[in-house]
Amino acid sequence: MDQDEQDRALPIANVSRIMKQILPPSAKISKEGKQVMQECVTEFISFVTGEASDKCHKENRKTVNGDDICWALSSLGFDNYAEAIGRYLHKYRQAEREKINHDKKYENPHINRAPPPPLLLSRVTRDKVENPPPSPPNQSG
Amino acid sequence: METNNQQQQQQGAQAQSGPYPVAGAGGSAGAGAGAPPPFQHLLQQQQQQLQMFWSYQRQEIEHVNDFKNHQLPLARIKKIMKADEDVRMISAEAPILFAKACELFILELTIRSWLHAEENKRRTLQKNDIAAAITRTDIFDFLVDIVPRDEIKDDAALVGATASGVPYYYPPIGQPAGMMIGRPAVDPATGVYVQPPSQAWQSVWQSAAEDASYGTGGAGAQRSLDGQS
Repeated sequence: MDQDEQDRALPIANVSRIMKQILPPSAKISKEGKQVMQECVTEFISFVTGEASDKCHKENRKTVNGDDICWALSSLGFDNYAEAIGRYLHKYRQAEREKINHDKKYENPHINRAPPPPLLLSRVTRDKVENPPPSPPNQSG
Repeated sequence: METNNQQQQQQGAQAQSGPYPVAGAGGSAGAGAGAPPPFQHLLQQQQQQLQMFWSYQRQEIEHVNDFKNHQLPLARIKKIMKADEDVRMISAEAPILFAKACELFILELTIRSWLHAEENKRRTLQKNDIAAAITRTDIFDFLVDIVPRDEIKDDAALVGATASGVPYYYPPIGQPAGMMIGRPAVDPATGVYVQPPSQAWQSVWQSAAEDASYGTGGAGAQRSLDGQS
């Protein structure tokens, strides 16, 4: 795998770290084994993306979203993945909603709100600001 | 789309006799009804491990609340997705899902490969172990071109030690339930993170070596770890 291909694959160190998580401490992984796994997981992304992209194309949509990924996994026979990732997507969206609600709740609309720039004022208003009418003379009794 | 229908029919057939049909069940090629019981036991153990793996992963997902830190870089995932010319835009959630899906993919393929390494009484995971795992599993058919044909050695027999009933990713008896893969466990008494003893998992795997060797199974029975658990 040349440098250009390496840039279009997942980092081998990350892949290796995940592999080691599930193996017993005494187990070893050959360099070739790591490289093959790196290629496999990169191909997995391309394979599922292709299926999800086809669905978007057929439905005249431009954006590949989470539902498309779940659908593609299920369509390609990765039933366990589809179930797990579907649940993960649900939890992710739930967390995002909570985050938005939290931000809205604690956002003060008056803080960090700059006044509109002068150019946005109407000409009449701008004239009044730049050339204020003469103030009435003070009548001191 | 005929292949999809065939896959669905295969899955339907598998569902009747369990997702991983043992030798002699579900029509595994070359594995007759006269397959020795120890070989069936071996397959059942492997099947059980994969089922435990998926149930464990489902539990993990139920408790996840950190969607910011991932084991795989999202930018690189997006780059791989963008390599497909048909892909125009990608939502923020897509690479996040792929990071998790890829993690599961690596873990599952590693387990299946390790089972093959153990069958051959090896402690080093090699390229041909991954090749064998790919060949045995229907859903990994899309990877057959990655591993050259000569790498796929058609082992005449499934011999020797297999992983014990309790795999590495499943907390062994006596360990705190809070333990997770690759992370320190929480001591329930003190609430402090403690590193589990490094020998804990080793004993789980080593117990397999002390088991009696299993009998010879037909070469065709290799394909019996197909499908999904």
